[in-house]
Amino acid sequence: MKFFQYLLKLDRRIIYIVMGVLVMYPLIKPLGLGVTSGPRAKALFDAVDQLPAGKTILVAVDFDPASMPELYPMLAAVMRHAFAKNLKVLLCGLWVTGVGLADRAATEIPPEYGKKYGEDIVYLGWKSGVDAVLLGMGENIKSVYPVDYYGKSLDSLPMMRSVQRLRDIPMVVAISAGTPGYQDWLLYAQARYGSRVGAGVTAVSAADAYPYLQSGQLTGLLAGMKGGAEYEVLVQKAGYSKAYMPAVAAMDSQSLAHVVIMLLVIIGNIAYFVTRRKGA
Amino acid sequence: MKRTIPLVICLIFGIVMMVQFFIPHPVSVALYNLSNDWVRNVSAFALVLGVGSLVMYHIEKMRRRRQGWYYSIVALVAAAVTTVVGLGWGVKQGSPLQNIIFSNLMVPLNASMFAILAFYMASAAYRAFRARTKESALLLIAAFIVMLGMVPIGNTIWHKLPEVAEWVLSVPNMAAKRAILFGVALGAIATSLKIILGIERGWLGGSKS
Repeated sequence: MKFFQYLLKLDRRIIYIVMGVLVMYPLIKPLGLGVTSGPRAKALFDAVDQLPAGKTILVAVDFDPASMPELYPMLAAVMRHAFAKNLKVLLCGLWVTGVGLADRAATEIPPEYGKKYGEDIVYLGWKSGVDAVLLGMGENIKSVYPVDYYGKSLDSLPMMRSVQRLRDIPMVVAISAGTPGYQDWLLYAQARYGSRVGAGVTAVSAADAYPYLQSGQLTGLLAGMKGGAEYEVLVQKAGYSKAYMPAVAAMDSQSLAHVVIMLLVIIGNIAYFVTRRKGA
Repeated sequence: MKRTIPLVICLIFGIVMMVQFFIPHPVSVALYNLSNDWVRNVSAFALVLGVGSLVMYHIEKMRRRRQGWYYSIVALVAAAVTTVVGLGWGVKQGSPLQNIIFSNLMVPLNASMFAILAFYMASAAYRAFRARTKESALLLIAAFIVMLGMVPIGNTIWHKLPEVAEWVLSVPNMAAKRAILFGVALGAIATSLKIILGIERGWLGGSKS
């Protein structure tokens, strides 16, 4: 009885230490659990894969540094896939705190594939007014972004000659940590201007995206770090990249974290019901 | 008058933009583009209001020595330094704003704040997640299935577990989500109509005059 009462009053610092050790251990010594790709990630991969070379995909960086560990691997994997398929990438974002992250991706990933800024990738940056920005991009991208993030006129960038409005972009991949995010791209880019939209979201918001998947509005979905890991595996299996896979590396940690939380809930419930029965 | 003019503008633009959506005439498209430009420009002014509101709030908090007032000094100094660095040295790649404030301060701090949620969640789940009723027991089982199905260890334990998790998300979860979405959408339409017609006036702020 005392043991169960002790369990109920367990010092939270013990929980923190157990959690910390079990999250860190697989990062130092991987368990090698392996990642299998699900149908949602495969659908997005196939949609990007089937685009003809030379077409442009828009990748929306709608997240901030808080969600970076979960979502940046998706961004990198989608961009690597696009460049390997000789697609052009138009980067932009609806989150002002995400501009530096998109800038990092625009700077780091294209050189891996020998891609040049202005010809194979353009980063538009961020503008205020979500709905007005998306609607404006639907009519004329240059009216919303006369210059790119680096201050270069869009007229001076060869890639932008074939990309005037959202209708010229067959696929949008919105990597979103919340609002504004993929739902806004669905509302305008998909419903109004006919682009296909795929999404990468944090694990906690994945359940919200399912209705859009079944309705066919979302072409594919990367849910949380697992979604990012699935996409990384698909890209590597297809031979498009040999880069380090941060999401795959983190999956062992996440597996153990989930198991720890479940065990804690089970132990907490056992202790609660045993003490309650004895008390009664 | 102060309330009537905004109400009239709201009514006219609300109706015009609704009608415009269905008329692909050049005049309609031009009006639509002009309205979008206006919206973007007006929304940029919200920044001024936002900064003003932030500064006033923190100054007031410090003046009245409310609980945690010293954190307001940090907030204001951080806002001032970021503004000065951004205006002085620019915001592009290689600037102190990008290299120091964003990459070396904001990214690790923001990511750390989010990461410690795992510890709080573990502690909170241990203390609060109890199967006291049939409903909460069901919630617990569904949570366990999805938690295991969403990570590779679920597949290692039982290869069908990811499929069961997918079913939980695709069927019961989606049924509930869809009902919520319909409710939210209908509510949004009703609220929009009330705002356009001037029935809902909360957005004007203040009391009735």
